[in-house]
Amino acid sequence: MPIAGGRFGRLDVVFGGQTSAFGLVLLIGLTWTAFTLAGSGFLSSFNLFSIGQLAARDAVLGMAQAMLVVAARMNLAVGGIGAVCTSLLGFLLVSVAAPLWLAVPLVCAGGVLAALLMGWVELTTGLSSFVVTLAFLSVYAGGALLVTGGRQFQITSQALTVLGSGTLLSPALCPLVAVAIACGMVCWLLYFRSSLGWKMLAVGANERAARVSGINVPWVVLAAYGLSGLLCAIAAIMNASYELNVNAGFGADWLLPSFIAAVLGGVALTGGEVSVAGILLAALFYDSLQSGLTIINVPSYWIELPQGLVLLVAVLLDQLRRRRARSRHRAPAVGAQAAAEPEAAVSP
Amino acid sequence: MRRLLSTQWAPLLAATILAGIVLGFVTRQFGTAFNIYTILQTAAIYAAIGLAQMVVLAVADMSLAVGGIAGLVTITVGGLYDAQHCSVAAAVAAGLGLGLACGLVNGLIIVGMNLSGFIVTLATGTAFTGIAYGITSAIPYSTIPPALVSLGQGRVSFFSFLLLPAIALTIAVGAGFRWLPIGRSLLAVGGNREAALLSGISRARAIVVAHAASGLLAGITAVMYIGVLRSATPATGSDWLIISFAVPIIGGTALVGGEAPAMGCFVAALVLAAINDVLIVLNVNTEAVQMAEGLLIFAAVISGKLGQRIHGPSLMWRKPAARGRVRAS
Repeated sequence: MPIAGGRFGRLDVVFGGQTSAFGLVLLIGLTWTAFTLAGSGFLSSFNLFSIGQLAARDAVLGMAQAMLVVAARMNLAVGGIGAVCTSLLGFLLVSVAAPLWLAVPLVCAGGVLAALLMGWVELTTGLSSFVVTLAFLSVYAGGALLVTGGRQFQITSQALTVLGSGTLLSPALCPLVAVAIACGMVCWLLYFRSSLGWKMLAVGANERAARVSGINVPWVVLAAYGLSGLLCAIAAIMNASYELNVNAGFGADWLLPSFIAAVLGGVALTGGEVSVAGILLAALFYDSLQSGLTIINVPSYWIELPQGLVLLVAVLLDQLRRRRARSRHRAPAVGAQAAAEPEAAVSP
Repeated sequence: MRRLLSTQWAPLLAATILAGIVLGFVTRQFGTAFNIYTILQTAAIYAAIGLAQMVVLAVADMSLAVGGIAGLVTITVGGLYDAQHCSVAAAVAAGLGLGLACGLVNGLIIVGMNLSGFIVTLATGTAFTGIAYGITSAIPYSTIPPALVSLGQGRVSFFSFLLLPAIALTIAVGAGFRWLPIGRSLLAVGGNREAALLSGISRARAIVVAHAASGLLAGITAVMYIGVLRSATPATGSDWLIISFAVPIIGGTALVGGEAPAMGCFVAALVLAAINDVLIVLNVNTEAVQMAEGLLIFAAVISGKLGQRIHGPSLMWRKPAARGRVRAS
């Protein structure tokens, strides 16, 4: 469960999961070398800046997704909450002309509430999170467009512009990267230094076992939903900070990056396992790849294929790694592995 | 007749027809033959999309690649006819073959790697869409076979010709699940995986067959839709995700696990198409349609939950059996 804390056996390093952080660093190194050699300007500060900008948002999206995936659920409505939060931010800053210090907490509260509503519906109806969040995706995305009427909001806030387009320490580093790393640190503290995080992991690994060992599962699930919504709101604010001209259509393409960052980062789809560093690095890899493909002049209409392939390869490698780990540890039971086992053991 | 009335979709259909009659009197536009033709045309497409999802839901899996496969099939048919000058029949056959192959690939990956259909089809669906955009450079084919146009646009008064393939598919899928051994085994696996395993039914085979059938149905839907759009664009299917789940869920699929009410799908498609149309005729913003779909999913699932006992763990419900057992101890 700890970051990169697994067994560094032979090929494990490139196969994601527990040792995903090291494998991803390797992968990022390879990508950067390849694109630097193949195209010109990959390592220019302008390009690195824009990679950082996008990767920071995608990392936060990955964490938003991971919050629920860790608890053996999923959040298909990341984009829906993103649309609501983006619209709310635009409305508050442009239409109401509210100050930023007031708008940001309100938007975050909006994101949390939107997600808590989904959690409440899941808990009271007993529906799976897939159906609930799918339905809420259309309700939120459609609702945001309906309420704003597709209006454009031109954000002029000075502080927000500095956050999204200013520089940090060097011209190659976007301040948003610091935001993403801060979110990552909070998530790490949550999962590895707080009881709530451990409870989330326990609920994800085996909900029944968690319930009978005295964990208040509904509250833990609600907390996971709320935090996922908070991270969606932060991602929406980050997105608005560099796009500036925003509308309720934002968030329509967030689902895929959120899953790529989480799954490639080594978050087990069956729940109960997380790697925060993995999520940050996976987002960096994903956006490096996207940017690199543009640098070597791959036409924009070919961009979608690698997105699908990256996710597919990540999932397949992750599964291969798990399989090998399982067969290796079949005879002597290993404590850390045992948590992830029961789910997988059910399938014939 | 009593059996017909007791089905889950009967009240839905009755309510829709009633609302339709009322609306026909309220707004002049609604009751016109042309408007009803538009509703039926949309409903036929929705029904086919829903069936493509339903066959996978029947084995308690899901496919997010229905739209991606449809996009790829669309540009294959369009490309073969427009650019390669193949005959209509050859282009359509190649397209349907490709759809089947895409579904087969999904099924084989899911079974071979023991992964959830969700994540695999999310990835492959994106990849299929990506390939469709890539090889066409995102430019649609505009020379469309006249036969497909007359299928998509043809009508006798209010009767859209697209209803013919839609009804045929509904009957074929419904009959397949009811009478074919493979259909029964799909339902058995979806209804109770352990029981199916113990009675010697291969789960792997059921999942591969379900995904292959879903791919084929997505392909057929794509061929039907080409005529409606009068253009073979790689964007086909990009907005089918929610509708593909809304139709079967509203139609009553998977609530009890291992059931595949094809007729319910068809009725749900009619209802959704009618709502879609009403919101447009009444000049409500089109975004409201998307919202209505989401709310309808809830309405359908929750009303279904109130109306019937849940038999066991299924895709839609989080392990209700386990929950009950723990509470009792």
